[in-house]
Amino acid sequence: MSLDVLFNQFMSGIARAAMLFLVASGLSLTFGVLRILNFAHGSLYMLGAFLSYTLWKSLLTPSLGFYLAAILAAIIMALFGIIIEFFLLRRLYARGWPEQLLATYAIVLIITDIVKYGWGGEFLSIPRPKPFTGAVFLFGFPFPSYNFFIILLGLGLVIFLWWLVYRTRLGDIIRAAAHDREMVSALGIPIPRLFTWIFVLGALIAGLSGAVTAPFGSVALGMDIEIIVECFAVVVIGGMGSLPGTLLGSFIVGEVYAFGIMFKPELALAFIFMVMAVVLIIRPWGIFGKPER
Amino acid sequence: MWETPNRIGMKKGWWLGLLVLLFLFAPLGVSEFYLTVLCEALVMSLLALSFNLLFGYMGQLSFGQAAFYGLAGYTVAMLITKIHFNFWLSLMAGVLMASLVGLIIGYFCVRLRGIYFAVLTLAFGQLLFVIIYKWHDFTGGDDGIQGVFPPDFLKSPTHYYYFILFVFIASTYLLWRIVNSPFGQTLKSMRENSERTEFLGINIARYQLIAFVIAAGFAGLAGAIWVPFYRSVAPFYLMWIKSGEPVMAAILGGPNIFLGPVLGMFIMTFVHAWVLGFTYFWPVIMGSLILTIIFLLPGGILGFAQEKMKQRRERSNLKETP
Amino acid sequence: MRKFIFLLGMVVLGSFLLTPEVGAQAKKPTPKEPIKIGSICDFAGPCYMYCETGLNGLRIAIEEINAKGGILGRKLDLIVRDTEMKVDVAVRELKDLILREKVDFLIGPCSSGTGLAMQVVHSEYKVLRISAIANTEAMTVDKFSPYFVQVVPNTYMEATANTRYLHKKVPNAKKFCTIAPDYEFGRREEAAFADEIKRLVPDAEILYQAWPKPGEKDFTAFITAIMAKKPDAVHSSLFGGDLVAFTKQAAPYGFFNIPFIALYDLPVLMALGPDAPEGTFGFGRGCFFMDPNPKMMAFVDKFKKVRGTYPDAWAVQNYDAMYLLKAAIEKAKTTETEAVIKAIEGIPFEGLRGKFTIRPLDHMGTVPCYQGTIAKDPNYPFKIWKDIVRVPGEEVIRPEQSVREIWKKTGVVR
Repeated sequence: MSLDVLFNQFMSGIARAAMLFLVASGLSLTFGVLRILNFAHGSLYMLGAFLSYTLWKSLLTPSLGFYLAAILAAIIMALFGIIIEFFLLRRLYARGWPEQLLATYAIVLIITDIVKYGWGGEFLSIPRPKPFTGAVFLFGFPFPSYNFFIILLGLGLVIFLWWLVYRTRLGDIIRAAAHDREMVSALGIPIPRLFTWIFVLGALIAGLSGAVTAPFGSVALGMDIEIIVECFAVVVIGGMGSLPGTLLGSFIVGEVYAFGIMFKPELALAFIFMVMAVVLIIRPWGIFGKPER
Repeated sequence: MWETPNRIGMKKGWWLGLLVLLFLFAPLGVSEFYLTVLCEALVMSLLALSFNLLFGYMGQLSFGQAAFYGLAGYTVAMLITKIHFNFWLSLMAGVLMASLVGLIIGYFCVRLRGIYFAVLTLAFGQLLFVIIYKWHDFTGGDDGIQGVFPPDFLKSPTHYYYFILFVFIASTYLLWRIVNSPFGQTLKSMRENSERTEFLGINIARYQLIAFVIAAGFAGLAGAIWVPFYRSVAPFYLMWIKSGEPVMAAILGGPNIFLGPVLGMFIMTFVHAWVLGFTYFWPVIMGSLILTIIFLLPGGILGFAQEKMKQRRERSNLKETP
Repeated sequence: MRKFIFLLGMVVLGSFLLTPEVGAQAKKPTPKEPIKIGSICDFAGPCYMYCETGLNGLRIAIEEINAKGGILGRKLDLIVRDTEMKVDVAVRELKDLILREKVDFLIGPCSSGTGLAMQVVHSEYKVLRISAIANTEAMTVDKFSPYFVQVVPNTYMEATANTRYLHKKVPNAKKFCTIAPDYEFGRREEAAFADEIKRLVPDAEILYQAWPKPGEKDFTAFITAIMAKKPDAVHSSLFGGDLVAFTKQAAPYGFFNIPFIALYDLPVLMALGPDAPEGTFGFGRGCFFMDPNPKMMAFVDKFKKVRGTYPDAWAVQNYDAMYLLKAAIEKAKTTETEAVIKAIEGIPFEGLRGKFTIRPLDHMGTVPCYQGTIAKDPNYPFKIWKDIVRVPGEEVIRPEQSVREIWKKTGVVR
């Protein structure tokens, strides 16, 4: 097993990790502040992907059209997020978490049929936009430039979120609310509006990551269920509600999968669940998570 | 508030008896297809009751009950098809297997609370699913195992219906006795206030583990009697999606009422069968149903009804005092 | 408590013994009423699309037949049910079709998993089913039932045929890799590939087998793992959305410089558009460009008029299945199941994919397998195949001896 082969496998793990981080960060953010594990996060991702395809199709310019479509799809999903949060989730904050979880699952079911009805069962595909159509060479091995785009996007998101959470006033409020919701409310900060903003941000991220997936692979029914299970693994391992945790969790899941495939492909999936179980047993709140009070 | 045995008395007994009679005579009035749906509703209700032992009574949400259901089903299927083992002994082996695995998994799960408990049960459930799915030389992989037949006298749907009904009524009664025993009371107290219970010297983990094993056993029983009915088993029976069904049923029907999950499951099963008869857009209907009940009927259908009756009783009590 | 259980047991036992046995009974044919065809579909995941296009083909066949007066003077009625790709829902909906709708015949499903679960049940009820999409060999061989007929080339036939094509195109290839979705379909196809390639090339080596999960969206790690082994050729049974994703992800790596064969049929080629790798090999079951005979082209015209698009293999196979059923019913002169089964065995049939029959041994249709090389075509906005080879089913069907050996192991008696 030569070094450059291993490095190449490592890089594919990074690409997968970047993809996972894009999606899982939204889930982690929502959980960290709202304390709701949003099952529907995967569905918003899927809807974003389908929307971006349709928008791209109607925009007619293949490459520029993709970027526009992605941004538009993200915005539409953000609006959708406002509707979901305002009309549904807001009324459930007083209820127990099982009912909140079930409500998000209901949203998953509804979005599934929206997609079924709107797009049928066809699997759709967008070709990669310029300038990311080819490959760059690392150690003599080609590495698709679109994967690099995804990694860059992931990094961009990390930086943006870090800036938001640690360098803005909103970020201070977010961290305070994650720690002690009642105190923040007592200080006169409107919690409901904060929650809406956070949920909308999560939805925006979900929609954007869905749109970005479309040229990467294919857009099809069932991608919501797949991604949400992997996202769960990521946030469980890294720590629910912790952004550095999500980053680490994405990295671990991405690399475990990449190297699992190389050495024992049939068990790659099982490895993920085993790691998940081990983390939960040893350190339930995840590597970077904080124990709940 | 919890329904205790001394509150029932004759008043509750009579409508329960009527219900049992209705079920006993169902095959006379119900078509063979709806008898099948009835069987499904009964078996899944047993699964839902097993789930609710942990959820409604212990306050823990298990996302892995289907894993025990499926595991028992696989045990039964493999014993019957591969070594032509005795049917009744196979069923017992299925329940035993589910309980044993429940013991192992439960040992780790009961040390956690809330969402962490839920996610660990999900992880273990998925792990079992992946093992069965990938071990295709032994379990048949995603092909599943077919040709699981009950003994000849149970092959007819009507006879099997009575078998399922018998198992269901007996299990429900057993579970009822368990939740109303001192053991059950301790579980409920853990749900209300775990700290206080601990101060009383109760080892929470041990009680929760026992409850976990019991729930796994009954979930296994449901799976064990199900597989010969449908003549096959497949890895899908262990998936977290299947585990979600008793969760929905319990919350829909009311987790704080003993028979709440049964009502929830009956509604889900029959509406599902009815809807699939004319459209394949079932998810949006199920999703809307869930949201409707969560918003309009907090506490589930029976929970809401009970709350309303209590308020009415209290109002009439107030009117009586001069 | 003991008294209660005892009493309950007595009551239940009593009711049990008193009720007559309502057993599995075949439906008695009722002349002059419409013949009911039950289409059991899996409207979920990848199967959603295949079932929809399949239904399109089935509906056209039924309309045509009804326009000409039906079968034996009786019109056809189509009833569709969804399994949601879940085995328990599948069996229940199957029972709905058999018990409530009282269908005469079944066509479907798409997923082999639900197909197998249903097979044991509809066989008990003695209703005949034809598969026009699902193709695991388990349905005709391992878990054979006389109440099942297959008009899709099964995993053994398909992989054997496409291996021969690959070998013909790259005769000097000795080192292979495979990539297939990790479930029974993929496993069986790759197993048949391994057997056939070792037969054709005695010193062939399979260096690495990639098993992405069905629905995998990120193949990067598999791609790099395969390319690291530097194989002479790669065999694959990836299909649908997975193949689309794989193709797009593999292209920048220069993957398609390696000879590669996979299920590049119409839906995949249409989705990929300009991204479809020219010079790469594809295999399939008979979409329109794979077998442009006059009957097929007439069907294409009709399909385009009705559906506005080209028919894929699923529409073609469903159409063939319906006409095969018609031929069998007319030969038997009744819709009575046992007679139709007898009539269908060995029946001479010519459909959109040419001539084939149903082998009496295992009810496997001697249906053709197609392979080709992806190329541009000025007539269509998507790429199609050139160098098309049509392998008649008889050449690749599993020999009887081999079938009987498997039956000894799985306990089928015939």
